[in-house]
Amino acid sequence: MKPRPAPSHWQPGTCGCDVSSSNSNMAVSGFRRLLVISECVLLKRLCQPAPSRSRHLSISRCGRNGLFSSSSRGASSNDAWGRRLLNTGARLQSSKDKVSVNFINRDGEKLKAEGNLGDSLLDVVVHNNLDIDGFGACEGTLACSTCHLIFEEPIYKKLDDITDEEMDMLDLAYGLSETSRLGCQICLKKWMDGMTVEVPSDVADARETKDIDSGS
Amino acid sequence: MIRQHAQPRSGLTLPVTARFVCSQLRVFSALSDEKKALLQEGPDLQEFINGGLSDKKSWEEYRGNLKRQKGERLRLPPWLKTEIPLGKNYNKLKNTLRNLNLHTVCEEARCPNIGECWGGGEKGTATATIMLMGDTCTRGCRFCSVKTSRNPPPLDPDEPFNTANAIAEWNLDYVVLTSVDRDDLPDGGAKHFAATVSHLKERHSKIIVECLTPDFRGDLKAVETVAVSGLDVYAHNVETVRELQRTVRDPRARFDQSLRVLKHAKEVKPSLLSKTSIMLGLGETDSQVYATLKELREAGVDCVTLGQYMQPTKRHLKVDEYITPEKFKYWENVGNELGFLYTASGPLVRSSYKAGEFFLKKILRERTAEKN
Repeated sequence: MKPRPAPSHWQPGTCGCDVSSSNSNMAVSGFRRLLVISECVLLKRLCQPAPSRSRHLSISRCGRNGLFSSSSRGASSNDAWGRRLLNTGARLQSSKDKVSVNFINRDGEKLKAEGNLGDSLLDVVVHNNLDIDGFGACEGTLACSTCHLIFEEPIYKKLDDITDEEMDMLDLAYGLSETSRLGCQICLKKWMDGMTVEVPSDVADARETKDIDSGS
Repeated sequence: MIRQHAQPRSGLTLPVTARFVCSQLRVFSALSDEKKALLQEGPDLQEFINGGLSDKKSWEEYRGNLKRQKGERLRLPPWLKTEIPLGKNYNKLKNTLRNLNLHTVCEEARCPNIGECWGGGEKGTATATIMLMGDTCTRGCRFCSVKTSRNPPPLDPDEPFNTANAIAEWNLDYVVLTSVDRDDLPDGGAKHFAATVSHLKERHSKIIVECLTPDFRGDLKAVETVAVSGLDVYAHNVETVRELQRTVRDPRARFDQSLRVLKHAKEVKPSLLSKTSIMLGLGETDSQVYATLKELREAGVDCVTLGQYMQPTKRHLKVDEYITPEKFKYWENVGNELGFLYTASGPLVRSSYKAGEFFLKKILRERTAEKN
């Protein structure tokens, strides 16, 4: 079973040194500068040893960007490092790693939610308190099929390969389609921003359930 | 841009920097005026720990919404509010369980009756429903908050022995054993279950044992293993009406499979009493409930319990309707009319809730009837 994604508060930094430009509050950016200054001093000392040590830190299933992707500004390696590590602090307030997902609920209602890069779709539903009944009963351990979601064809094709365990559980899901996956195994990536997923209905009608039961 | 400000400007002196920092911090720590007003005039601590449960007479006056509308989450009606579990018995039980590494469904499934059962009823006999084979199930049903995993930890070989010891220590006359689903084991854990029952009966032959078993994926051999182990009451819950099985339970569980389990237990050992349980409030209709009860009676099930479904966590199904205590009484009458040996029906009734008292009372009643 693939490891669950790392908690969303730990995010490997991405390349780029821009502080979020949406933040126009001088006081806040001033404070952040101060935070940045103090962190820079501390981290410059920590950064002395070889870069390879920090690569172990990004073990998320979903986070592929290493902390130390190459800088396009050609700064010295230590400086660039320090700045990028600081970025994680600054980035807690930046909106660059948020991915928005649209859910079409069972009754047709459209729900919009945001998640961090690396969050699973189950995390998105739970953290945003979306009104999807009985979603994620097994807490993402591949032991139920309640997080069953239907994706659009082009998105479905780009998703990571399905594991055998996920397939086993997905087979039990009601209303299985060609583009179905379990939400707890799909982690947010940047290209998923704005995608729409459908929550399939759990039971069509009483008559249909009876047929399933008598066939078993 | 961070890069430009990464180095402190040469003009900044320490006092200026410090003042700057403090002013920024103050911005974050000060409350708005309206929040301050709310703290002064709003509710104080006493209103949150009021401790008093509503009087039974006021239940009829409750006018809150009982049937869920779209997008709503129903408030808990007064007849479902319980005391916070406290007390000597409660703590003693908890310690015994932890020391012997035992789990209870009372804790894992967040039963509202935990304070009452563990504290000891009117007769002072505390009871707990021990959950065998660990606290992690291999199925994720949408009404149950027991932890789920694909590969739960292996069985504890000392568990049958420890359970028997713990129960003997509590000096109970009726005990209920239950377990999680263990689809990862070849026999579903049936032998482990049976071993616990036989150990218990060895140590304490007079005790009445009720077992609330899984469906073992329909494996009737496993059902037989448990049924002949010496227990007195064989229980297996169908949980809900036939029409809602797929929505409420794990897809590996089915109504007919559960019925077969109950039937088979009685076939293998006719002197057994069979028992099942249904949750109300998940969106079933009255006719569906009646049809289910009828089917259960026709399958030879002796006892049935009906309780109110309560949503354990936000990942589980919302309560569709809160059934009134009067309606539960109605179902109790229906059950008695249909011919069940006993029907326990009430909002807080659970499969093993006060199981002992009912059973014993029933037996005593029968014995006095025989004498007369």
